[in-house]
Amino acid sequence: MSDPGIILPAPEPAAARLRPERTSLWGRALDQFRRDHAAITGLAIVAVFFLMAVGVWFGWWGTQWSQALGGRWEGPSGGHWLGTNLLGQDIFQRAVYSTRTAFEIGLIVAILSTLLGGLLGALSGFYSSRWIDSVLLWLMGTLDSIPFYLFVAAVAVAMAGNPWAMHIAMVATFWTTTARLVRGEVIKLKNLEFVEAAHAIGLGQFRIIFRHLLPNTFHILLVQGTIVFVSAIKAEVILSFLGLGVQDGVSWGLMIAESTQEVLAGQYMNFIVASSFMFVLVMAFNLFSDGLQDALDPRRAPR
Amino acid sequence: MIMGMLLLAACSEPPSDDNRDVYRHSEDEAPASLDPAQASTVYSNMVVVNVFDTLYRYKYLARPYELAPNLAAGFPDVSDDGLTYTFRIRSGVEFTDDPAFPDGTGREVTAHDLVYSIQRHFDPGVRSQGAWLWSGRIVGLDEWGQNGADYAAPIEGLKALDDHTLQIQLTAPYPQLVYTLAAGFSALVPKEAVEFYGREFSVKPVGSGPFKLTSFNSALATFDRNPKFDRGVLNLADEGYRDDLHGTYGLQALDGQAYPFVDGLEIHFIDENASRWNSFISGEVHNVMVPNEQIDRVLTSKDPIELNDDMAERFHKHSGIEAGFVYGGFNMADERFGHHPDPDQDAANRALRCAIRDAFDWQARNETFYFGLGNVFPGVIVPLVPEFDADLSRRSVQHNLQSANQALDEYGWRDQLPSMSYGMPSSVQQRQMFEQFRAQVQEIGFSTDQFSPESFATFGDFSRAIKNRELDLFFLGWSLDYPDAQNTLQLFYGPNETPGSNNFNYNNPAFDALYEQTLTLQPGQQRTALYRQMNQLVIDDCVVISGLSRTRVHLWDKQVRMLPDREILGGFFMRFVDIGNESETAAMSN
Repeated sequence: MSDPGIILPAPEPAAARLRPERTSLWGRALDQFRRDHAAITGLAIVAVFFLMAVGVWFGWWGTQWSQALGGRWEGPSGGHWLGTNLLGQDIFQRAVYSTRTAFEIGLIVAILSTLLGGLLGALSGFYSSRWIDSVLLWLMGTLDSIPFYLFVAAVAVAMAGNPWAMHIAMVATFWTTTARLVRGEVIKLKNLEFVEAAHAIGLGQFRIIFRHLLPNTFHILLVQGTIVFVSAIKAEVILSFLGLGVQDGVSWGLMIAESTQEVLAGQYMNFIVASSFMFVLVMAFNLFSDGLQDALDPRRAPR
Repeated sequence: MIMGMLLLAACSEPPSDDNRDVYRHSEDEAPASLDPAQASTVYSNMVVVNVFDTLYRYKYLARPYELAPNLAAGFPDVSDDGLTYTFRIRSGVEFTDDPAFPDGTGREVTAHDLVYSIQRHFDPGVRSQGAWLWSGRIVGLDEWGQNGADYAAPIEGLKALDDHTLQIQLTAPYPQLVYTLAAGFSALVPKEAVEFYGREFSVKPVGSGPFKLTSFNSALATFDRNPKFDRGVLNLADEGYRDDLHGTYGLQALDGQAYPFVDGLEIHFIDENASRWNSFISGEVHNVMVPNEQIDRVLTSKDPIELNDDMAERFHKHSGIEAGFVYGGFNMADERFGHHPDPDQDAANRALRCAIRDAFDWQARNETFYFGLGNVFPGVIVPLVPEFDADLSRRSVQHNLQSANQALDEYGWRDQLPSMSYGMPSSVQQRQMFEQFRAQVQEIGFSTDQFSPESFATFGDFSRAIKNRELDLFFLGWSLDYPDAQNTLQLFYGPNETPGSNNFNYNNPAFDALYEQTLTLQPGQQRTALYRQMNQLVIDDCVVISGLSRTRVHLWDKQVRMLPDREILGGFFMRFVDIGNESETAAMSN
């Protein structure tokens, strides 16, 4: 008779027993990520949205988003799966096309602000307590002190309807968080032995920054990139709603802005569809981002 | 907890007016400037005609619109040749008290103030938007501006004969002159205040009108009654009162009483339709112009316009067609699709414009954005003026894809359609209008990318882009300054090209010759015939995609005795608004 107070360990699967234990940060992260079902689900949903966006890029679907294909405010039907809006445009096609808009904005802003934040953060960290660091910290503090939407509105007005005003404003404000994180990591790394060794063998400062320090902050950049991606999508929706966002084309924010008049007339499909698409993608990206953050967190590494 | 409840109770109280009668009016946009020289929008005019005085105004209730003397002591004496007008101005009228005056006390309004106020429009430093009303019309006035705008220098055609007599000498007969003196542009401003406030005069106006501005921002303008304002009593019969049309509004009680009736005035500028509507329903403002998306909920019938029972019980209603229209215009200065020196290319460009016009579906525009209440008409002579031709062919306002495609094929436009910009102020509805337009021109071969939207943060920016000829196509509205077709036809007169009022930069010598011919003609069959010829030229040249006059449905609280109106750059009605007490309102409802 077994003692109920003793919990026996579950037998390890054969495949796991055979797999060699990973020791690198990335290897351990991959293992950790695979075990995170929520993150995998998030990634799968993001992948579906990405495929949707790719299809729009290649013209496979969502091509008739601007055309009036039906009558005003038609309900869901075989011809229009999610009904039509005030102008008779197909709501599903517009929501699908908006996926491309979301990915375009998310990717552009995430890549540019991660690059900028990584570069300036590394410089700031490497030259910490020197004038470059002081200038960069002052710049980050100044940008962070300006309310985001006020800043975007000012940029949009200053650039007189330029379609890139929103992107520029987002990159100009989002890079600072990345830079602060990278700065902290670089300050920590630059005192480690491998950097001292690099100095000792006479490597140039920029070579040390770009070949040895920045690659070691990649896990931060990756996680921060996904967070910026989600923030950019959410910001676009709000800015487009306020008339400061997408200038041409369609986005979930524009669809929600259109729906404000429609809701008053008792028509909800535009609002529900755009909000749902955005909600699912943002939730999925958050799950993915959380999983990635957990997997790449060095404190979770096995002792 | 008790404190909390008291606080909540305090918060839920309606705003207190200290027992004053205050009429709270709502408008859908804020004015950019309150200086009469910049009063080019209905929003500016709404404030200007209530703070300043004009020589004439429109009668409160008479339709078609009729002029009535305001600051003028009567109608002018006109010389036999129609070139010299002599106006008498009321004596004893004073500007409101203001620090701009010595001792802070407003002085008497004189004919010299009117001379100064009209001169300002021709002073290049003022950058007036209203000079076109008198440009080339008054002897020596244009030259005065061109020669440095020296206010001490006399002008032959614009003279104050004494403090209460003004004489205007015209270069040629100008039958619309008296109308121009009812426009906000002609409002009398005191030189002292203009000089005292400088650029701030645009937000600190000082006049002699029925109300005095006490505060102004982009959300609200507040006014107190001008205690010095005295124009006698309201004579309903003179104002065009008809019992069958106005009998239910309770105006009879005001007959024979001195106006203005209210102690104060608030104009709430609420851009968002939903917010404006909710403010009205909750009683925060007394009136609203029914937003399109509420039409189906508010009306039980569109023809005739009838309110549902709930609304009819709570509110008064008045509906009517606007004195103006909405239209789309091409920038004819662009050789890709506008005027072209090569006759063959010019004809091809005309065919392209006509194709775009024929692809445009006014019926869809009317149904989608005006809930089918708009009045679609051909040309640019609007239904509300006497020169309107109800029998004119409607060919130019019919959605005709076959004709559009045929024109494009015939002139070789297929596969080489130009890319064009479409300008608009930034708003959801403007974007939807653009998308509807783009969907329609896609049916004749334009791709999604060929019509690119250019949105502007403010209407001012949008207007500036048009004046700078940066936009290929734009949709605009025009509200009449006076009830005469000349007011819309002048929009196409060559010498008025941008930065003047001819936003299309249309330049047709035949049109200009006809226009110049009509300038000196009094109203009558001959002038009407010439107007209609000009209208046909504009239609045939496909300069404009026109047009639609909107139907306005006004609702107002039954407590308020008035007939609101914003046509012909309205706002004059506010001096006749009265707030009744609750027992009177209940009696009226019964």
